[in-house]
Amino acid sequence: MNTAILIATVLICLLSLAALLIWLERRLLGIWQDRLGPNRVGFLGLGQVVADMIKIFTKEDWIPPFADKGIFILAPTIVVIAMLMAFAVVPFAPDTSISNLNIGLLFFLAMSSLAAYSVMLGGYASNNKYALLGSLRAAAQTVSYEVFMGLSLMGVVLLTGSFNMSDIVLAQKEHGWFVFSQFVGFIVFLVAGIAESHRLPFDLPEAEHEIVAGFHTEYSGMKFGLFFIGEYLGVALISAVITTLFFGGWLGPEFMPPLFWFCLKTFIFICFFVLLRAAVPRPRYDQLMMFGWKVMLPISLLNLLITAALTLARAS
Amino acid sequence: MTVLLFYVAAAVAIVATLLTITRTNIAHALLYLVVSLLSIAVIFYMIGAPLAGALEVIVYAGAIMVLFVFVIMMLNAGKPTEDQERAWLANTSWRGPALLCAILLAEMLTLLSGGIGGHVSTHVSAKEVGILLYGPYLLAVELASMLLLAGLIGAYHLGREDNVEERPKS
Amino acid sequence: MTGDSENLAALVIYFLVVLGLVALILLISHFLGHRRQDAKDYHPALNEPFESGVVSVGDARLRFSAPFFLVAIFFVIFDLEVVFLFAWVIGFEESGMPGFIEALVFILILLAGLAYLWKLGALDWGQNPKRRLGRVAMLAAEKAASAPTRDENTPETL
Repeated sequence: MNTAILIATVLICLLSLAALLIWLERRLLGIWQDRLGPNRVGFLGLGQVVADMIKIFTKEDWIPPFADKGIFILAPTIVVIAMLMAFAVVPFAPDTSISNLNIGLLFFLAMSSLAAYSVMLGGYASNNKYALLGSLRAAAQTVSYEVFMGLSLMGVVLLTGSFNMSDIVLAQKEHGWFVFSQFVGFIVFLVAGIAESHRLPFDLPEAEHEIVAGFHTEYSGMKFGLFFIGEYLGVALISAVITTLFFGGWLGPEFMPPLFWFCLKTFIFICFFVLLRAAVPRPRYDQLMMFGWKVMLPISLLNLLITAALTLARAS
Repeated sequence: MTVLLFYVAAAVAIVATLLTITRTNIAHALLYLVVSLLSIAVIFYMIGAPLAGALEVIVYAGAIMVLFVFVIMMLNAGKPTEDQERAWLANTSWRGPALLCAILLAEMLTLLSGGIGGHVSTHVSAKEVGILLYGPYLLAVELASMLLLAGLIGAYHLGREDNVEERPKS
Repeated sequence: MTGDSENLAALVIYFLVVLGLVALILLISHFLGHRRQDAKDYHPALNEPFESGVVSVGDARLRFSAPFFLVAIFFVIFDLEVVFLFAWVIGFEESGMPGFIEALVFILILLAGLAYLWKLGALDWGQNPKRRLGRVAMLAAEKAASAPTRDENTPETL
């Protein structure tokens, strides 16, 4: 019964968060770009969220006749399902996660690797040249950055000795936040996380100045909306995982409940993602790929080796 | 509950695998293969091998199948391959292999019903796997690294475009 | 392990709920969505792939060049390496110094592979002739470079 309530709460919170993030992003971007953003509908423009929802739900449910119908519908659902599933292992507070898997971290990595199918299949099913180009780019980018996404987390696992997310948070009680001892790992994971969720500055799969809208060129209505929700869920997921693994998760001073600290830290990272979009220009695609293979991969391997060597030296 | 889950996952795996074989559209077939791998991952987790389950998803569904999808996206085999595929399925050539497989299946079923296989539920945690791999089986890991190295270099030399002359100018 | 099956059950329930939710979203939008009533609403361009107003030539069944394929292969191989490292890291304390040395050798072998590919130019994208053409064609290109043609330098979109 407890689980049922938790599942319902988590899903309601996540979906409204994804909708709210669209508004938040537009407002924050507005502020940082010295304009207002959506501020007319309701209090602070919050009614915009509802208006957008109504609008997108009443759009035509359009499937292009040249598309592969089944895969065309399936593709946007994969990213939403994978991102929501990954939240199952995130501990929001002590003993509060949908599933306290022993291999929680691997589960998160598995889900984020499955999300790659969404863009690939979306572009393939659209049967549109720009969509295909975008999805090839997306796939190459996602898989390249996935390699060291896993590697960058291994330092944390090494210090904890467990894949369990709750154990990792608890370990930070003794070790201090892992962002200090695993700073390189944190930076690598952050970069990989941005690339995995196709956020600016790494949104080349949908770079509108060269390939229309990339993999979702042919998408409209709620199916496009699902891609959008998936992207924002991805941002929230990466922020939540960064909080859990590197910033002590729910740990914080006693005067507020653990859940508050978790949400606060996650929120700060979400805002950071928006700031990145406002502040950093896109790199070129070849630069992006070379950066991944030539810089990030060796760095994350070295980080792991050095962490291991230091841990061994301290033990002996 | 667990038993029910097992049978559901197993049924999904079998149905998805059958569909993988019978679909003529290669993209659809691959998707069913992914579903089959995912349900096998669930079964792995259920019978006490969580690491194997996770790796099944990360390596097979998340990496190797991605490579396959990649290849069909790049080669873009359209209608012609679909027709070819259909011709193969309609052909009588699958009867021989199917018969041999049926014999193997019958053999396996008799063995299993004899209680030789049975239900084994030993829990092997990820940690134990790690300790074994980096203890007694260290040579296997080093061999694996050599194999991966060979794969890396082989893939590059096979995959690069040497014959630029033959490439149609686009 | 009772905890295991509990966790799995929760995960399965959660999965089913998520699945239902996504299906519900799609169904709602299907029923609420605007529908084209008659021919007036209809536009012939709707049935063509969108290419920024340019009339589409051929379909999207193009063939792409090898760099994307190589990336996918490298990914599979390095992903497998990472998987071996997962196993090392989780049992790090127990395997101790011998484990560390073993992992060190393992990583160095693959780093050697990475360095080799780097040197060959396999990790470069786009215009690098070393990477795009391979050795044989590179020699041909060098020969051609003495009598300059602009053929090899036509920009290629990735």
